[in-house]
Amino acid sequence: MTPGRDDLDELLGAYALDAVDAQERQRVEEYLAHNPRARAEVEQHREVATMLSYTGAPAPEGLWDRIAEALDDRAPAPEPGPELAKVMPMPARVTAGPVPAPPVSAPALAPRSERRTRRSWTGVFGAAAAIVVALLSWRVVDVTRQLDDARAHGVGLERAIENLQQDSTTRRADLLSTDGRQTAHAYVAVDGTGYLDGRALVVLDPDHTYQLWGVVQGPAGQQVISLGVLGRQFDVAPFVVRQGTLVKLVLTEETRGGVPVSSQPAALAGDLI
Amino acid sequence: MKDDLSDYSDAALAVGIARYRQEALAEAYRRHAGAVYGLARRLLMVENLAEEVVQEVFLRLWNQPDRYDPARGSLRSFLLAQTHGRAVDMLRSEGARRQREEREARGTAEAGYDMELEVWDMATAERVRSSLAALPEGEREAIELAYFSGLTYREVARKLEEPEGTVKSRIRSGLKRLRGELVAAGITTGGER
Repeated sequence: MTPGRDDLDELLGAYALDAVDAQERQRVEEYLAHNPRARAEVEQHREVATMLSYTGAPAPEGLWDRIAEALDDRAPAPEPGPELAKVMPMPARVTAGPVPAPPVSAPALAPRSERRTRRSWTGVFGAAAAIVVALLSWRVVDVTRQLDDARAHGVGLERAIENLQQDSTTRRADLLSTDGRQTAHAYVAVDGTGYLDGRALVVLDPDHTYQLWGVVQGPAGQQVISLGVLGRQFDVAPFVVRQGTLVKLVLTEETRGGVPVSSQPAALAGDLI
Repeated sequence: MKDDLSDYSDAALAVGIARYRQEALAEAYRRHAGAVYGLARRLLMVENLAEEVVQEVFLRLWNQPDRYDPARGSLRSFLLAQTHGRAVDMLRSEGARRQREEREARGTAEAGYDMELEVWDMATAERVRSSLAALPEGEREAIELAYFSGLTYREVARKLEEPEGTVKSRIRSGLKRLRGELVAAGITTGGER
Protein backbone atom coordinates (compact mmCIF):
# COMPACT_ATOMS: atom_id res chain seq x y z
CA MET A 1 0.00 0.00 0.00
CA THR A 2 1.34 3.44 -0.86
CA PRO A 3 1.93 5.48 2.27
CA GLY A 4 -0.20 8.59 2.67
CA ARG A 5 0.95 12.10 3.42
CA ASP A 6 0.57 11.59 7.19
CA ASP A 7 2.58 8.38 7.06
CA LEU A 8 5.34 10.14 5.17
CA ASP A 9 5.30 13.05 7.61
CA GLU A 10 5.65 10.58 10.45
CA LEU A 11 8.78 9.16 8.77
CA LEU A 12 10.59 12.51 8.58
CA GLY A 13 12.33 12.17 11.92
CA ALA A 14 13.62 8.68 11.18
CA TYR A 15 14.62 9.79 7.68
CA ALA A 16 16.64 12.69 9.05
CA LEU A 17 18.57 10.24 11.23
CA ASP A 18 19.18 7.80 8.32
CA ALA A 19 16.97 5.33 10.17
CA VAL A 20 14.79 4.24 7.26
CA ASP A 21 15.31 1.51 4.69
CA ALA A 22 16.16 2.17 1.05
CA GLN A 23 12.58 1.99 -0.22
CA GLU A 24 11.27 4.32 2.46
CA ARG A 25 14.12 6.71 1.79
CA GLN A 26 13.17 6.87 -1.86
CA ARG A 27 9.52 7.52 -1.06
CA VAL A 28 10.39 10.25 1.42
CA GLU A 29 12.71 11.94 -1.07
CA GLU A 30 10.03 11.94 -3.74
CA TYR A 31 7.73 13.52 -1.16
CA LEU A 32 10.34 16.09 -0.15
CA ALA A 33 10.88 17.10 -3.76
CA HIS A 34 7.39 18.64 -3.80
CA ASN A 35 6.95 19.67 -0.19
CA PRO A 36 8.96 22.63 1.13
CA ARG A 37 7.39 22.33 4.59
CA ALA A 38 8.57 18.75 4.92
CA ARG A 39 12.02 19.72 3.64
CA ALA A 40 12.23 22.42 6.28
CA GLU A 41 11.25 19.95 8.96
CA VAL A 42 13.98 17.52 7.88
CA GLU A 43 16.54 20.33 7.96
CA GLN A 44 15.46 21.19 11.50
CA HIS A 45 15.76 17.57 12.58
CA ARG A 46 19.24 17.42 11.08
CA GLU A 47 20.32 20.56 12.89
CA VAL A 48 19.17 18.99 16.14
CA ALA A 49 21.09 15.83 15.29
CA THR A 50 24.13 18.01 14.69
CA MET A 51 23.82 19.30 18.22
CA LEU A 52 23.80 15.73 19.49
CA SER A 53 27.26 15.38 17.98
CA TYR A 54 28.41 17.97 20.45
CA THR A 55 31.73 16.32 20.94
CA GLY A 56 34.57 15.53 18.68
CA ALA A 57 37.90 13.82 18.78
CA PRO A 58 41.10 15.23 17.35
CA ALA A 59 41.37 13.97 13.80
CA PRO A 60 44.35 11.64 13.45
CA GLU A 61 47.65 13.14 12.51
CA GLY A 62 48.45 12.76 8.85
CA LEU A 63 44.82 12.46 7.78
CA TRP A 64 44.74 15.90 6.25
CA ASP A 65 47.93 15.09 4.34
CA ARG A 66 46.23 12.08 2.80
CA ILE A 67 43.25 14.20 1.79
CA ALA A 68 45.48 16.92 0.36
CA GLU A 69 47.38 14.31 -1.61
CA ALA A 70 44.14 13.06 -3.11
CA LEU A 71 43.22 16.63 -4.06
CA ASP A 72 46.42 16.92 -6.04
CA ASP A 73 45.32 13.99 -8.12
CA ARG A 74 41.94 15.53 -8.80
CA ALA A 75 42.92 18.20 -11.24
CA PRO A 76 40.02 19.63 -13.23
CA ALA A 77 39.23 17.90 -16.47
CA PRO A 78 40.19 19.68 -19.67
CA GLU A 79 37.74 21.81 -21.59
CA PRO A 80 35.47 19.76 -23.83
CA GLY A 81 36.24 19.83 -27.51
CA PRO A 82 33.68 21.45 -29.77
CA GLU A 83 32.31 18.12 -31.03
CA LEU A 84 31.78 16.79 -27.54
CA ALA A 85 30.23 20.04 -26.40
CA LYS A 86 27.73 19.82 -29.26
CA VAL A 87 26.68 16.34 -28.27
CA MET A 88 26.49 17.04 -24.58
CA PRO A 89 26.18 20.74 -23.80
CA MET A 90 26.90 21.73 -20.22
CA PRO A 91 24.01 22.59 -17.95
CA ALA A 92 23.97 26.02 -16.43
CA ARG A 93 25.44 26.22 -12.98
CA VAL A 94 22.92 25.79 -10.23
CA THR A 95 24.00 27.96 -7.36
CA ALA A 96 23.32 26.73 -3.90
CA GLY A 97 21.88 29.93 -2.54
CA PRO A 98 22.86 33.44 -1.63
CA VAL A 99 26.57 32.82 -1.30
CA PRO A 100 28.50 35.96 -0.44
CA ALA A 101 31.80 36.57 -2.14
CA PRO A 102 34.93 35.91 -0.13
CA PRO A 103 36.22 39.01 1.60
CA VAL A 104 39.41 38.87 -0.41
CA SER A 105 39.88 38.45 -4.10
CA ALA A 106 39.59 34.92 -5.35
CA PRO A 107 42.28 33.48 -7.59
CA ALA A 108 41.85 34.00 -11.29
CA LEU A 109 40.04 30.76 -11.86
CA ALA A 110 36.66 30.33 -13.41
CA PRO A 111 34.13 28.58 -11.18
CA ARG A 112 34.85 24.93 -11.53
CA SER A 113 31.41 24.13 -12.90
CA GLU A 114 32.23 26.28 -15.91
CA ARG A 115 35.24 24.10 -16.52
CA ARG A 116 33.42 20.82 -16.24
CA THR A 117 33.20 18.57 -19.22
CA ARG A 118 30.61 16.05 -20.22
CA ARG A 119 31.54 12.45 -20.55
CA SER A 120 32.16 11.33 -24.06
CA TRP A 121 31.34 7.72 -23.34
CA THR A 122 27.67 8.33 -23.81
CA GLY A 123 28.45 9.26 -27.39
CA VAL A 124 30.29 6.01 -27.81
CA PHE A 125 27.21 4.12 -26.79
CA GLY A 126 24.86 6.15 -28.96
CA ALA A 127 22.78 9.25 -28.71
CA ALA A 128 20.01 7.36 -26.97
CA ALA A 129 22.28 6.95 -24.02
CA ALA A 130 23.04 10.64 -23.72
CA ILE A 131 22.46 11.75 -20.18
CA VAL A 132 21.26 15.15 -19.14
CA VAL A 133 23.33 15.78 -16.06
CA ALA A 134 21.38 17.85 -13.58
CA LEU A 135 22.75 19.20 -10.36
CA LEU A 136 20.06 17.94 -8.06
CA SER A 137 19.33 18.93 -4.52
CA TRP A 138 18.78 15.38 -3.38
CA ARG A 139 21.73 13.62 -1.91
CA VAL A 140 23.77 11.19 -3.93
CA VAL A 141 26.61 9.02 -2.93
CA ASP A 142 29.98 9.62 -4.46
CA VAL A 143 31.99 6.80 -3.06
CA THR A 144 35.55 7.50 -4.06
CA ARG A 145 37.44 4.82 -2.35
CA GLN A 146 40.53 2.92 -3.26
CA LEU A 147 40.41 -0.81 -3.50
CA ASP A 148 42.97 -1.05 -0.75
CA ASP A 149 40.51 0.66 1.55
CA ALA A 150 37.88 -1.90 0.70
CA ARG A 151 40.32 -4.70 1.37
CA ALA A 152 41.09 -3.08 4.70
CA HIS A 153 37.46 -3.60 5.70
CA GLY A 154 38.14 -7.27 5.96
CA VAL A 155 34.85 -7.87 4.21
CA GLY A 156 34.57 -11.09 2.24
CA LEU A 157 33.86 -9.34 -1.02
CA GLU A 158 33.94 -12.42 -3.16
CA ARG A 159 31.58 -14.11 -0.74
CA ALA A 160 29.32 -11.06 -0.88
CA ILE A 161 29.04 -11.52 -4.64
CA GLU A 162 28.25 -15.19 -4.24
CA ASN A 163 25.48 -14.33 -1.79
CA LEU A 164 24.03 -11.72 -4.12
CA GLN A 165 24.07 -14.15 -7.04
CA GLN A 166 21.78 -16.42 -5.05
CA ASP A 167 19.37 -13.62 -4.15
CA SER A 168 16.42 -13.26 -6.53
CA THR A 169 16.13 -9.52 -5.81
CA THR A 170 19.68 -8.80 -6.97
CA ARG A 171 20.09 -6.71 -10.10
CA ARG A 172 22.95 -7.43 -12.45
CA ALA A 173 24.93 -5.51 -15.05
CA ASP A 174 27.18 -7.16 -17.62
CA LEU A 175 29.72 -4.54 -18.62
CA LEU A 176 31.19 -5.03 -22.07
CA SER A 177 34.06 -3.25 -23.80
CA THR A 178 33.47 -1.63 -27.18
CA ASP A 179 35.51 -4.31 -28.94
CA GLY A 180 33.66 -7.03 -27.05
CA ARG A 181 36.86 -8.52 -25.71
CA GLN A 182 36.51 -7.58 -22.06
CA THR A 183 33.69 -8.16 -19.64
CA ALA A 184 33.03 -7.35 -16.01
CA HIS A 185 29.96 -8.23 -13.99
CA ALA A 186 28.30 -6.17 -11.30
CA TYR A 187 25.68 -7.18 -8.76
CA VAL A 188 23.51 -4.67 -6.90
CA ALA A 189 21.43 -5.51 -3.85
CA VAL A 190 18.04 -3.98 -3.25
CA ASP A 191 19.54 -1.57 -0.68
CA GLY A 192 21.87 -0.07 -3.28
CA THR A 193 25.00 -1.91 -2.20
CA GLY A 194 26.87 -3.26 -5.21
CA TYR A 195 29.99 -5.15 -6.14
CA LEU A 196 31.90 -5.06 -9.40
CA ASP A 197 33.89 -8.14 -10.28
CA GLY A 198 36.97 -6.95 -12.15
CA ARG A 199 39.01 -10.11 -12.03
CA ALA A 200 38.83 -10.59 -15.80
CA LEU A 201 40.01 -7.09 -16.68
CA VAL A 202 43.46 -6.28 -18.02
CA VAL A 203 45.95 -4.63 -15.69
CA LEU A 204 46.48 -0.98 -16.58
CA ASP A 205 49.87 0.68 -16.63
CA PRO A 206 51.04 2.22 -13.35
CA ASP A 207 49.96 5.74 -14.27
CA HIS A 208 46.35 4.80 -14.90
CA THR A 209 43.36 3.64 -12.91
CA TYR A 210 39.93 2.25 -13.52
CA GLN A 211 37.12 4.57 -12.38
CA LEU A 212 33.52 3.44 -11.98
CA TRP A 213 30.58 5.70 -12.80
CA GLY A 214 26.88 5.18 -12.23
CA VAL A 215 23.91 6.65 -14.06
CA VAL A 216 21.29 7.16 -11.37
CA GLN A 217 17.62 7.87 -11.97
CA GLY A 218 16.24 10.29 -9.38
CA PRO A 219 13.08 12.37 -8.96
CA ALA A 220 14.44 15.16 -11.16
CA GLY A 221 16.00 13.04 -13.88
CA GLN A 222 19.25 11.22 -14.40
CA GLN A 223 22.60 12.04 -12.91
CA VAL A 224 26.07 10.64 -13.43
CA ILE A 225 28.07 10.05 -10.27
CA SER A 226 31.46 8.62 -9.50
CA LEU A 227 31.24 5.34 -7.65
CA GLY A 228 34.91 4.81 -7.05
CA VAL A 229 38.51 5.08 -8.18
CA LEU A 230 39.48 1.43 -8.31
CA GLY A 231 43.19 1.31 -9.09
CA ARG A 232 45.05 -0.20 -12.04
CA GLN A 233 43.72 -3.64 -11.20
CA PHE A 234 41.12 -4.92 -8.79
CA ASP A 235 39.35 -8.13 -7.94
CA VAL A 236 36.03 -7.05 -6.44
CA ALA A 237 35.16 -3.40 -5.88
CA PRO A 238 32.26 -2.45 -3.58
CA PHE A 239 30.11 0.61 -4.19
CA VAL A 240 26.91 2.12 -2.80
CA VAL A 241 24.09 4.14 -4.33
CA ARG A 242 21.88 5.39 -1.54
CA GLN A 243 19.43 7.54 -3.47
CA GLY A 244 17.72 6.96 -6.75
CA THR A 245 17.84 3.92 -8.98
CA LEU A 246 21.06 2.83 -10.61
CA VAL A 247 20.36 2.21 -14.30
CA LYS A 248 23.79 1.93 -15.90
CA LEU A 249 27.41 1.36 -14.95
CA VAL A 250 30.38 2.67 -16.91
CA LEU A 251 34.06 1.99 -16.37
CA THR A 252 36.63 4.48 -17.67
CA GLU A 253 40.41 4.49 -17.69
CA GLU A 254 41.75 7.63 -16.04
CA THR A 255 45.08 8.98 -14.98
CA ARG A 256 46.17 7.77 -11.56
CA GLY A 257 44.06 9.25 -8.76
CA GLY A 258 40.91 9.51 -10.84
CA VAL A 259 38.98 12.60 -11.89
CA PRO A 260 35.88 14.44 -10.67
CA VAL A 261 34.50 14.50 -14.21
CA SER A 262 35.66 12.21 -16.99
CA SER A 263 36.41 13.13 -20.57
CA GLN A 264 37.46 9.62 -21.47
CA PRO A 265 35.51 7.17 -23.60
CA ALA A 266 33.95 4.24 -21.81
CA ALA A 267 36.22 1.26 -21.43
CA LEU A 268 33.23 -0.90 -20.56
CA ALA A 269 29.55 -0.22 -19.96
CA GLY A 270 26.40 -2.12 -19.15
CA ASP A 271 22.78 -1.57 -18.13
CA LEU A 272 21.32 -2.86 -14.87
CA ILE A 273 18.78 -5.58 -15.44
CA MET B 1 51.43 35.25 1.20
CA LYS B 2 48.45 33.04 1.84
CA ASP B 3 45.13 34.53 2.84
CA ASP B 4 44.11 34.12 6.45
CA LEU B 5 40.82 32.28 6.12
CA SER B 6 40.09 32.00 9.82
CA ASP B 7 37.60 34.86 9.62
CA TYR B 8 35.76 33.49 6.61
CA SER B 9 32.15 32.43 7.03
CA ASP B 10 31.33 28.85 6.05
CA ALA B 11 29.53 30.22 2.99
CA ALA B 12 32.67 32.08 1.93
CA LEU B 13 34.71 28.94 2.45
CA ALA B 14 32.28 27.08 0.19
CA VAL B 15 32.89 29.65 -2.51
CA GLY B 16 36.63 29.23 -2.10
CA ILE B 17 36.33 25.46 -2.32
CA ALA B 18 34.26 25.78 -5.48
CA ARG B 19 37.12 27.78 -6.92
CA TYR B 20 39.65 25.06 -6.19
CA ARG B 21 41.24 26.86 -3.29
CA GLN B 22 42.75 24.09 -1.22
CA GLU B 23 43.37 26.41 1.69
CA ALA B 24 39.59 26.93 1.93
CA LEU B 25 39.09 23.20 2.27
CA ALA B 26 41.93 23.08 4.79
CA GLU B 27 40.17 25.71 6.88
CA ALA B 28 36.89 23.79 6.72
CA TYR B 29 38.83 20.71 7.80
CA ARG B 30 40.44 22.61 10.68
CA ARG B 31 37.03 23.72 11.92
CA HIS B 32 35.03 20.57 11.49
CA ALA B 33 37.25 17.50 11.08
CA GLY B 34 37.19 16.80 14.81
CA ALA B 35 33.39 16.66 14.91
CA VAL B 36 33.25 14.62 11.70
CA TYR B 37 35.83 12.16 12.97
CA GLY B 38 34.23 11.97 16.41
CA LEU B 39 30.82 11.09 14.99
CA ALA B 40 32.24 8.54 12.54
CA ARG B 41 34.27 6.90 15.29
CA ARG B 42 31.37 6.83 17.69
CA LEU B 43 29.21 5.09 15.09
CA LEU B 44 31.78 2.71 13.66
CA MET B 45 34.04 2.23 16.69
CA VAL B 46 36.90 1.40 14.34
CA GLU B 47 39.49 4.07 13.70
CA ASN B 48 40.54 3.17 10.18
CA LEU B 49 36.91 3.12 9.00
CA ALA B 50 36.28 6.46 10.71
CA GLU B 51 39.30 7.93 8.95
CA GLU B 52 37.97 6.64 5.65
CA VAL B 53 34.68 8.41 6.30
CA VAL B 54 36.47 11.68 7.08
CA GLN B 55 38.39 11.42 3.83
CA GLU B 56 35.25 10.71 1.83
CA VAL B 57 33.27 13.52 3.40
CA PHE B 58 35.89 16.18 2.75
CA LEU B 59 36.71 14.90 -0.74
CA ARG B 60 33.02 14.96 -1.53
CA LEU B 61 32.85 18.57 -0.35
CA TRP B 62 35.78 19.31 -2.65
CA ASN B 63 34.23 17.53 -5.62
CA GLN B 64 30.63 18.65 -5.12
CA PRO B 65 30.64 21.99 -3.29
CA ASP B 66 27.34 22.97 -4.90
CA ARG B 67 25.57 20.46 -2.69
CA TYR B 68 26.18 22.57 0.38
CA ASP B 69 23.51 25.25 0.60
CA PRO B 70 24.39 27.88 3.24
CA ALA B 71 20.78 29.04 3.22
CA ARG B 72 19.63 25.68 4.56
CA GLY B 73 22.01 25.22 7.46
CA SER B 74 25.52 25.30 8.80
CA LEU B 75 28.46 23.62 7.13
CA ARG B 76 28.97 21.55 10.28
CA SER B 77 25.42 20.26 10.04
CA PHE B 78 25.88 19.44 6.36
CA LEU B 79 29.16 17.62 6.96
CA LEU B 80 27.80 15.69 9.92
CA ALA B 81 24.73 14.62 7.96
CA GLN B 82 27.06 13.35 5.22
CA THR B 83 29.19 11.64 7.84
CA HIS B 84 26.26 9.96 9.49
CA GLY B 85 24.87 8.71 6.18
CA ARG B 86 28.19 7.28 5.06
CA ALA B 87 28.99 5.70 8.42
CA VAL B 88 25.54 4.11 8.54
CA ASP B 89 26.09 2.72 5.06
CA MET B 90 29.28 1.12 6.29
CA LEU B 91 27.69 -0.07 9.48
CA ARG B 92 24.93 -1.78 7.58
CA SER B 93 27.48 -3.69 5.55
CA GLU B 94 28.24 -7.01 7.12
CA GLY B 95 31.89 -6.42 7.96
CA ALA B 96 31.65 -3.11 9.77
CA ARG B 97 28.61 -4.18 11.74
CA ARG B 98 30.46 -7.29 12.87
CA GLN B 99 33.52 -5.30 13.89
CA ARG B 100 31.39 -2.91 15.91
CA GLU B 101 29.53 -5.73 17.62
CA GLU B 102 32.80 -7.46 18.46
CA ARG B 103 34.13 -4.30 20.05
CA GLU B 104 30.90 -3.77 21.95
CA ALA B 105 31.00 -7.35 23.17
CA ARG B 106 34.56 -6.95 24.37
CA GLY B 107 33.67 -3.62 25.94
CA THR B 108 36.86 -2.19 24.52
CA ALA B 109 35.82 0.41 22.05
CA GLU B 110 38.90 1.39 20.11
CA ALA B 111 37.74 4.94 20.33
CA GLY B 112 37.93 5.12 24.11
CA TYR B 113 35.41 7.75 23.29
CA ASP B 114 34.64 9.46 26.52
CA MET B 115 38.22 9.49 27.68
CA GLU B 116 39.80 11.56 24.99
CA LEU B 117 37.18 13.90 23.78
CA GLU B 118 37.99 17.29 22.51
CA VAL B 119 34.79 19.02 23.47
CA TRP B 120 34.14 21.93 21.20
CA ASP B 121 32.11 23.79 23.77
CA MET B 122 31.82 22.37 27.26
CA ALA B 123 28.90 24.54 28.29
CA THR B 124 26.95 23.79 25.14
CA ALA B 125 27.76 20.11 25.44
CA GLU B 126 26.40 20.02 28.95
CA ARG B 127 23.19 21.77 27.98
CA VAL B 128 22.66 19.42 25.06
CA ARG B 129 23.28 16.47 27.35
CA SER B 130 20.74 17.84 29.83
CA SER B 131 18.18 18.47 27.13
CA LEU B 132 18.57 14.94 25.83
CA ALA B 133 18.28 13.52 29.32
CA ALA B 134 15.11 15.52 29.88
CA LEU B 135 13.28 13.75 27.06
CA PRO B 136 10.77 11.03 27.90
CA GLU B 137 12.74 7.80 28.10
CA GLY B 138 11.09 6.21 25.08
CA GLU B 139 11.93 9.16 22.86
CA ARG B 140 15.50 9.44 24.12
CA GLU B 141 16.19 5.73 23.65
CA ALA B 142 14.74 5.69 20.16
CA ILE B 143 16.79 8.70 19.07
CA GLU B 144 20.02 7.44 20.59
CA LEU B 145 19.68 3.98 19.07
CA ALA B 146 18.82 5.39 15.67
CA TYR B 147 21.47 8.09 15.61
CA PHE B 148 24.41 6.66 17.51
CA SER B 149 23.95 2.97 16.76
CA GLY B 150 22.90 3.47 13.15
CA LEU B 151 19.77 1.33 13.50
CA THR B 152 16.67 1.75 11.38
CA TYR B 153 13.51 2.57 13.29
CA ARG B 154 12.33 -0.99 12.61
CA GLU B 155 15.50 -2.35 14.21
CA VAL B 156 15.02 0.03 17.12
CA ALA B 157 11.45 -1.23 17.51
CA ARG B 158 12.64 -4.83 17.63
CA LYS B 159 15.35 -3.98 20.13
CA LEU B 160 12.96 -2.12 22.40
CA GLU B 161 10.09 -4.54 21.75
CA GLU B 162 7.82 -1.69 20.80
CA PRO B 163 5.53 -1.28 17.75
CA GLU B 164 7.30 0.18 14.72
CA GLY B 165 4.78 2.99 14.42
CA THR B 166 5.37 3.97 18.03
CA VAL B 167 9.12 4.17 17.55
CA LYS B 168 8.75 6.11 14.32
CA SER B 169 6.53 8.65 16.06
CA ARG B 170 8.79 8.86 19.10
CA ILE B 171 11.82 9.70 16.98
CA ARG B 172 9.97 12.53 15.31
CA SER B 173 8.30 13.89 18.43
CA GLY B 174 11.54 13.51 20.38
CA LEU B 175 13.49 15.52 17.83
CA LYS B 176 10.86 18.24 17.93
CA ARG B 177 10.85 18.26 21.70
CA LEU B 178 14.63 18.33 21.79
CA ARG B 179 14.71 21.28 19.44
CA GLY B 180 12.32 23.11 21.73
CA GLU B 181 14.52 22.31 24.73
CA LEU B 182 17.64 23.52 22.93
CA VAL B 183 16.01 26.73 21.82
CA ALA B 184 14.72 27.32 25.35
CA ALA B 185 18.24 26.73 26.65
CA GLY B 186 19.49 29.42 24.32
CA ILE B 187 21.26 27.10 21.94
CA THR B 188 20.60 27.94 18.35
CA THR B 189 20.26 25.02 16.03
CA GLY B 190 20.42 26.71 12.69
CA GLY B 191 22.39 29.17 10.64
CA GLU B 192 26.07 29.35 10.09
CA ARG B 193 28.86 30.41 12.30
